Amino acid sequence: MKNFALSLTLTLCLSSMATAQCFADYKAKQDNPLRLHYGVAKISGPCSVADAKSELAHRIAINGWTVLKVMSVFGSDGLDQRKDSAGQYYLRF
Amino acid sequence: MQDNTTSASDMRRTGGRLVIFGIASILALLIGAALLLFLALPDAGAFDAHVERMFVENTDITSQAEIKLLEILAQSGTAFADTLASYRLVIYTLLVFATAMMIAALVFLILIVGFNRRLAQIERAGIQVNSLLISREENTVYLNNLGFKLTDATMETMSVLAESRMDDDVLSGSEIEAVISGRSAADCDEAAGATRIKRLRDILGNQIVSELLVKNIARRGYMLAVEKDVIKVL
Repeated sequence: MKNFALSLTLTLCLSSMATAQCFADYKAKQDNPLRLHYGVAKISGPCSVADAKSELAHRIAINGWTVLKVMSVFGSDGLDQRKDSAGQYYLRF
Repeated sequence: MQDNTTSASDMRRTGGRLVIFGIASILALLIGAALLLFLALPDAGAFDAHVERMFVENTDITSQAEIKLLEILAQSGTAFADTLASYRLVIYTLLVFATAMMIAALVFLILIVGFNRRLAQIERAGIQVNSLLISREENTVYLNNLGFKLTDATMETMSVLAESRMDDDVLSGSEIEAVISGRSAADCDEAAGATRIKRLRDILGNQIVSELLVKNIARRGYMLAVEKDVIKVL
């Protein structure tokens, strides 16, 4: 019984972690002429810099952008401080 | 055995080879300069790459104004690269013109040297017959537009010699006599032809020397027709 309760709390914990939203801020470019932007995007896959980069690269390549660097991944608590900098690229992709 | 003197024609041949080598090396240098000019200078992408690196490396550049500024920087770099390309073209055009001038100058220099050598040869060779005009009506032979009066008999000899020369023939004394007198060569005397040649030489030689060397100035006397400073007495 005790064992069951432990596993229940563990699954609850994991599921709550999975449902916690994940965001990444990144830098991207377009060539000829060179255009740059800093943006914030929601990540639906695993919440790490490397995974975010591959996911973002696919997503923004459709609009002709190339990801240069994913700076960091963060939860919804980090959104507000980056909103001004990202401007029109705040959660656009 | 190899002759140890150099003739003018040898000089001309080696000179020609030298000119070809010179022009080829100039062309090679020109192509090298062009490659250097067009490959060594940075292309427009270099500026963009640099700006991009700055953008990635400086993590604190995130505000829109800063990013806009970086973009403007990259654009001005690209504009400068365009200017650079046009400069490169101008420089290369000037280089080509300068080289063409140099080649032309070189060719003319070599031509002048060649002409000088040729002129010296002609001066040393003395009188060279460029034109021989026989006027039967006036009984006159024109050598290089200098007219020499001949007698009827010497005129005949001259004509016979000219005709045989045109046919590339060599005539003996008896053959000359045969053509002029109309008899067969076997009946003619060798000495008769030789006498005709002697008379022709005398009359022509006398007039050529008086025209070119020992001049007769009417009612004043005689004078050598040469420059003062070419005369040397041993």
